[in-house]
Amino acid sequence: MTIKRMTFLQELLKFMGLEGRLHLDWISSAEAQKFVQVVTDFTEKIKAMGPTPLSGDLDLSAIERECEAKVEAESIEGG
Amino acid sequence: MEEQMKEWLEPYSTTDFKTSAFETMQEQVKEWLDQGKVDLFLGYKMVEEHPLPHFFTKDHLDEVDDLIFGQARYSLEKIATKIAAEHPEMKIGLLVRDCNQRALNVLYVWNQLNPENVETINVSCCPSKLKKHADCSYLEPKKSGSYKKMVGIDNNMEVAAAEEFSQGERYNRWLYEFQKCLKCYGCRDICPVCFCKECSLEHPDLIATGSIPPEVPIFHLVRAVHMGGRCIDCGLCEDACPSDIPLRLLYRKVSETVEDLFGYKTGTHTDQSPFNLLEDEVTLEPKPL
Repeated sequence: MTIKRMTFLQELLKFMGLEGRLHLDWISSAEAQKFVQVVTDFTEKIKAMGPTPLSGDLDLSAIERECEAKVEAESIEGG
Repeated sequence: MEEQMKEWLEPYSTTDFKTSAFETMQEQVKEWLDQGKVDLFLGYKMVEEHPLPHFFTKDHLDEVDDLIFGQARYSLEKIATKIAAEHPEMKIGLLVRDCNQRALNVLYVWNQLNPENVETINVSCCPSKLKKHADCSYLEPKKSGSYKKMVGIDNNMEVAAAEEFSQGERYNRWLYEFQKCLKCYGCRDICPVCFCKECSLEHPDLIATGSIPPEVPIFHLVRAVHMGGRCIDCGLCEDACPSDIPLRLLYRKVSETVEDLFGYKTGTHTDQSPFNLLEDEVTLEPKPL
């Protein structure tokens, strides 16, 4: 059940562009090495991805500027 | 396009069709009220040329002559849940479209209505193989402007098409949509399957308060998650949204995922919600890192 709920959440986050930052694994209390491995790998993965776009204060105006720049670029391309 | 629309509407607009269909329906409702099969009937009444939700009772039988159906739609079943909460034994009659029927199924699953106390008169109006367009406010989907198409999400997009954008673009486009939110709660208030007494969207510990737009994207994602196993794709949320956020598309993705993962087609039956059950066997594997 957990896995289905988590997959559901992963799919939803992916749909709006926040994939890869949620991970699920089964590690028993007897599997210390696996725990270390999973946490290390996940930490490395997140480090490689960089901070989430949601970190800190969300700068919505930046997104708007980015969108407008895109519109401008396309209108130049278009004619 | 207009010509085509006229053609589709033709059979519905002739006076004969309207009169006979309305009369049959009105007679049925009168009979039900008279015999006590239902204590009240929820439908639409024409008031000053506007079809408004209205409940008809035995005491005012003559009002039933104003009962109509048409393109107007409203979550009548939501009104029914409010009445049922106050008067659990009351028998309620309803005029139901395809979407209302799906919503009723969900409300039965979640024990908000007792199917034994609900009688329906059905109006088939969703698109089918024979009929391309729905006979409702979705008859002609709203067209998105070129700016929205370029930087946001076109409301008429298919789920698969929305998934094709690169990760960064997808994020920017959705955030552009979400940040238009006025936090009017219109999507929740109109939603036929939103019935919680305490709403997570109003919980200050879950979603920060005091700013507009509300905390994005968490505000919209919380609602999206809660739509899992509940959303019946009626599109009223998107109809109600003053900011034109493609909510229907977002919840369509939710419903598709629920169907893929749980094999649960929301609204088509009255089986328990997949989020309520423990299962015998799961074949999924955790995603690789």
